[in-house]
Amino acid sequence: MRVVVAGFLLAALATAQSYTPPKTPWGDPDLQGVWPGNMGVPMQRPANFGERATLTEDEFAKKQEQAKRQASADAESTAASDSKAGIGPPSYWVERGKPTKQASLIVDPPDGRLPPLTPEAQKYRKEAKLPGAWGGKADSPADLNIYYRCITRGLLGSIIPVVYNNGNQILQAPGYVVFRNEMIHESRVIPLDGRPHAGSDIRLYMGDSRGHWEGSTLVVETTNFTDKDAIGSNGAGYPGDPGYHSDQMKIVEKFTRTGPKTLEYRATVIDPKTWTKPWTMLIQLDRNDDYQIIEYACHEGNYAMTDILSGARAGEQK
Amino acid sequence: MRVLIRSFILVFACIPLVCGQGYKAPRMADGHANLNGIYEAVNTANWNLQDHPAYAGPMWEMGAIAAVPAGKGVVEGNEIPYKPEAAAKKKANFANRRADDPEAKCYMPGIPRANYMPYPFQIVQTNKDILFVYEYASSNRLVNMGKPMEAPSDTWMGTNNGHWEGDTLVIDVTGLNGLAWFDRAGNFGTDKLHIVERWNLTDHDHLNYQATIEDPSVYTRAWKISMPIYRRVEKDAQLLEFKCTEFAEQLLYGKYTKGAGGGQK
Repeated sequence: MRVVVAGFLLAALATAQSYTPPKTPWGDPDLQGVWPGNMGVPMQRPANFGERATLTEDEFAKKQEQAKRQASADAESTAASDSKAGIGPPSYWVERGKPTKQASLIVDPPDGRLPPLTPEAQKYRKEAKLPGAWGGKADSPADLNIYYRCITRGLLGSIIPVVYNNGNQILQAPGYVVFRNEMIHESRVIPLDGRPHAGSDIRLYMGDSRGHWEGSTLVVETTNFTDKDAIGSNGAGYPGDPGYHSDQMKIVEKFTRTGPKTLEYRATVIDPKTWTKPWTMLIQLDRNDDYQIIEYACHEGNYAMTDILSGARAGEQK
Repeated sequence: MRVLIRSFILVFACIPLVCGQGYKAPRMADGHANLNGIYEAVNTANWNLQDHPAYAGPMWEMGAIAAVPAGKGVVEGNEIPYKPEAAAKKKANFANRRADDPEAKCYMPGIPRANYMPYPFQIVQTNKDILFVYEYASSNRLVNMGKPMEAPSDTWMGTNNGHWEGDTLVIDVTGLNGLAWFDRAGNFGTDKLHIVERWNLTDHDHLNYQATIEDPSVYTRAWKISMPIYRRVEKDAQLLEFKCTEFAEQLLYGKYTKGAGGGQK
């Protein structure tokens, strides 16, 4: 039995490591390309799954059936027919993703759910006046979350797929890797020369990243975060929680090519002020050479902000 | 003696273009000049592309901090050949610059302005395409070095097709939406802009930047800007964040905030 288990583990390890990516002309593993995100995997696993990280054949078939129905509904409707959709886009804009068997983005802890909050973080979530989403208080822009304000979705939020514009691009130059996200437009330049982090008074929404190679895996450690944004697909939290982290958060990302067109992205969040344990997200990315990243001028076209605020003021005058 | 001094100057004076041709830039593996680095302009072009004396800023409350330093222009011949109605619009832009300059609103700077704002930018030259990453407003543009493509849509930073002419990177920029200004003095173009940029290293730490700007809807002829752009030579130079949206919210939305008597658009 032990031999079987060991063999299984080896096989699991081998799948992640057996592929040797091509090299850039200057000798680094070549991760370059456009790797768009794929919608449809929930961040946290439904509790009834327990430690089961993948869907059964039955569950997967159902998910595929659902996707088919959704696709035909999307094709029929040309505009959001649901009045509650409000400022949302027409359904044919919305990316639904290709169904996969992954049960949750969070893969550690093994139950696929966020570890408990520290008492300090629980207190903060209860007492702090945290910005909400559209539909809540709108006295000033600061009442809205930073995605509505088109500031950023933060480092992790920028790679968690959302409704559209999920392009991610990796570019490399000697001594640097750049991770570029289409939504809101981020270009995180990651130096590979082992230099120390920026001074601790320098706080950044996207953090201060330093990378190095472990075999063919790019490992990136990021610190110097602000505590003004939250982890979640919209930079404003995940379902059921505002997702706020502290400025002491450290994120360790691992980018591993597992095949000519597949890349495994893992991010471990270490923030002892917020979560009682580190936790890890896994996002599987497929390269798409036909995908063209288009400039997403979020703030420049943020008519929603004017409408939400002026609407709230008009409402007060009634 | 005077003759001697003159010939000394002739021998050693360095005309930028000639100097540039003498310098052999380091190579990438593919043989092209390696332009990778962090750069920043040191001039007053972002205040005013043309020759100008020092003048007061649009906010007296800021005193000398918001005043404009004097500067020699970067426009060849110092004239921007506006058609009469465009010249009038430029004048109006200048008068209303405090509220109307897209830089004040933290909008993407467009081309060419992104290259001479007082913020660093990084050229990321891969073995294929070239990415320009600007610290200001996290703006960026990918220069396609493959088969030239048509602009899929008008954008702030344009559709950028690049090719090499010797050691000079030539970027053809179209598909600009024309909403960005060229400086804080209100110089502008429209969505008909066509800009051809030329970038080459004149020595290890200096880029020679030239841009030819055409837009038949507002100019009577093409015109040209040129300037050196300097490498940030600090060992630990890196781009930080200037995510300025939050600094512009009061300017943009202040009248709609509670207690401001807003509600009207």
